[in-house]
Amino acid sequence: MGLFGFGKKTTGGPAAGPGGPADSEGAAGLGAPAGSAGAAGPHPGWRLIYNPKGDAADILANATGLTEGRIAGKYMLSKERLPDTVVIQGVIRKGIIAGADLNVDQEAAQREKIDVARQPRSGRSGIQSVGTVSLADLITKSSDSFHAQPVDLDQPAVLLYTSGTTGKPKGVMLTHNNFYAQCSQVVPSVFDMKPEDRVVMVLPLFHVYALSNGLVASIYNGCSMALVSHYSPTNLLSAIADQGATLLIAIPTMYQHLLQSARIRKQSIPRTLRACISGGAPLAVATIKEFEELFDTRINEGYGLTETSSAVSLNPSGEGYKEGSIGPPANGVEMAIMDDEGNLLGNNQEGEIVIRGGVVTKGYWNNPEATEESIYGGWFHSGDLGHRDDDGYYFITDRKKDLIIRGGFNISPREVEEAIATNPKVQEAAVVAVRDKREREAVKAFVVLKEPGSITTSELSEFCTANLAPYKVPKLFEIVEALPKNASGKVLRRELRGEATDDRLIEKEDHEQ
Amino acid sequence: MSNNSIITEPATLGQILEQVAHKYKRKEAILFGGRTITYGELDKNANRVANGLRKLGIEPGDRVAMMLPNIPEFIYTFYGIQKLGATAVPFNAMYKGREIVHIMNNSGARAIVALANFINLINEIRDEMPALEHVIMAGERTLVFVSPESTVNVQFVVDKSSFGDGDAAFRTVGEMLEQTFHDLGATDAWYKHRGSIRAKGRKLATVLVSEIENLYIVNTVSFLGPLKTEDFFRVIWVTPEVKDKVVEPMTSVEELIGRRPSLEEFRDAFVRRLEERFGSSVEPGDLKRDELFGYEKTRALAYRK
Repeated sequence: MGLFGFGKKTTGGPAAGPGGPADSEGAAGLGAPAGSAGAAGPHPGWRLIYNPKGDAADILANATGLTEGRIAGKYMLSKERLPDTVVIQGVIRKGIIAGADLNVDQEAAQREKIDVARQPRSGRSGIQSVGTVSLADLITKSSDSFHAQPVDLDQPAVLLYTSGTTGKPKGVMLTHNNFYAQCSQVVPSVFDMKPEDRVVMVLPLFHVYALSNGLVASIYNGCSMALVSHYSPTNLLSAIADQGATLLIAIPTMYQHLLQSARIRKQSIPRTLRACISGGAPLAVATIKEFEELFDTRINEGYGLTETSSAVSLNPSGEGYKEGSIGPPANGVEMAIMDDEGNLLGNNQEGEIVIRGGVVTKGYWNNPEATEESIYGGWFHSGDLGHRDDDGYYFITDRKKDLIIRGGFNISPREVEEAIATNPKVQEAAVVAVRDKREREAVKAFVVLKEPGSITTSELSEFCTANLAPYKVPKLFEIVEALPKNASGKVLRRELRGEATDDRLIEKEDHEQ
Repeated sequence: MSNNSIITEPATLGQILEQVAHKYKRKEAILFGGRTITYGELDKNANRVANGLRKLGIEPGDRVAMMLPNIPEFIYTFYGIQKLGATAVPFNAMYKGREIVHIMNNSGARAIVALANFINLINEIRDEMPALEHVIMAGERTLVFVSPESTVNVQFVVDKSSFGDGDAAFRTVGEMLEQTFHDLGATDAWYKHRGSIRAKGRKLATVLVSEIENLYIVNTVSFLGPLKTEDFFRVIWVTPEVKDKVVEPMTSVEELIGRRPSLEEFRDAFVRRLEERFGSSVEPGDLKRDELFGYEKTRALAYRK
């Protein structure tokens, strides 16, 4: 392939005419040299490099090669020449242009006949996207000594945004004190972490569970953390095996996947895990038992919320385990059951689970109304309904608010409804939770159109995908003529929720992970 | 139950890392992709981030947003923010435009540390986030797909003085591309702020403007025909949130007008707009010998395994 003779390939271009030989100084069709830097004004003329048969590396080479030569100086590129060049390229094979930190399967690339070109590291004085700063640059150019500022422990260390019932996500303020209470009281009472522990971090660190019980607690205790940036059962299993992991913090789906993989390859099941925590949703007893046996470990089920800097109670493995319970409150946490009038209820009476203690948030950032709705009478109101048994174990039976929880992430039906309603073809929408085959909550949308037949459910799904995080995108859409409403016009979600479990969900969800 | 004695009294998250790192300097803190990062190194990297943020003008109490997957940079950044006494706002890397805008504006974050792949997304919504002053890109993780049936690449380098500023550079190039698409019959194409040409809500072309010294480097990829991305994901391996951004809904000239224009048609249309915009002619040419060295070197680097 004639890599450099771009000019010669130019046919029918404006002012055609063969370019000079590739190695000649000064190709044909040069305009006058550009004016000195800083002088704006009419552009003196462009040199067109047209390369219809390029490849991925050609695309990179033009963008960076010309400028690298420019800064490297030793190539003696004239300052005047460079800013006159426009490059237009097609490619003749499929290609990937990958950043230096991306993993590429070279064998697969050969098999699929895909060229892979690597972007050079930008380095100290490399090319930088306009209006951005490079973290690597920031790190290499800054001093490595710094003393942690002695800020007020009651100042928010973190804002974590979580969806409520009222639409847009709210920023939960978690202070240094909140994290200190979680690490010094809650964690040691339920989950002993030691410096020699190796903790697998597979859940996203932007979620309270991994952030608080994974990252912050690991550092507090001097543990080692094995980061898994891409979840698949195989990845997780090999991370556990390769790192000799002793602690695992995960969600029920992952335990189920691990179990499925482990059943297939029994001989290579890692048996290093000293203990596991499962959170986000209940885990079936049968799964716990089989997992504990195969992996020679213990699974404790935790319960907590973003507003309580993660865990507040734990249903322990072994003798203390009670099926269906979230366990008794952890050290430093008080829990109670409250009725709608604000009275604390006795054992075995149904009400809202309320929580107080050092782990509870001060409130929502910039949102005093939402704070007052959730924290009053000295208690944080969880929105979960349930009761306490005579042994002090708590049980969740229902949810007070129209919240949908999937994989530990809160989803506000209102927020999804509002997103759907921004489509000009939609009249209105109502979103509810339905149960999938595995008894997990899934989002279902009922949509009323302005004109019947103007948009399909798959177009609606795509519209949502473009505007919402994937876990919020409804798995099911149903186009209806009208929404059931009460006399004051409020949508009756309960009637919509009456929908049966849908079998089609399974297949789609299996592709999710 | 715990016999932990490193931390004995309430402290900030930054102070906690400092004390633990002091005691366990050489102990493994992070294991990632075959690399081991000790507590001593982690602490130093957090210090570098804290110093770097301070140089950018971030002060205790300021909010710094984070849009990162589970990579070591997440931990350096998180603890750098903590050491500085600022407030970290880590959010779901799967979030889309309107969700990000809400969080950025509600928190009033002055800076965001995001994976390099998300730059296009952040650029497009940047003018809706008035409090945001600094976009800090983590990792060399850009990802572009090209294919003979669908893509055409246009690049050029211009002196910064040819445009007013970065915004103007984006706008000028965006408008030129938008008009090029109109000339080709795709009249739905429109330029969205800093980075994308869209039609019917889908992406039709991407514009990336980089800078070095006194130059702007403009790089665009336009879709003349539909781009099938499945094959690429058998070769490259990215986290779901990255894949999600890479395969955001796309369209092409072919899908819009029912016919795929040839490369030459596109070239001629773009060249006309370029000449019009800059009031100067475009002539075919070649790279000079010295330029070829730089070109060849980069090309060789690009194909290293």
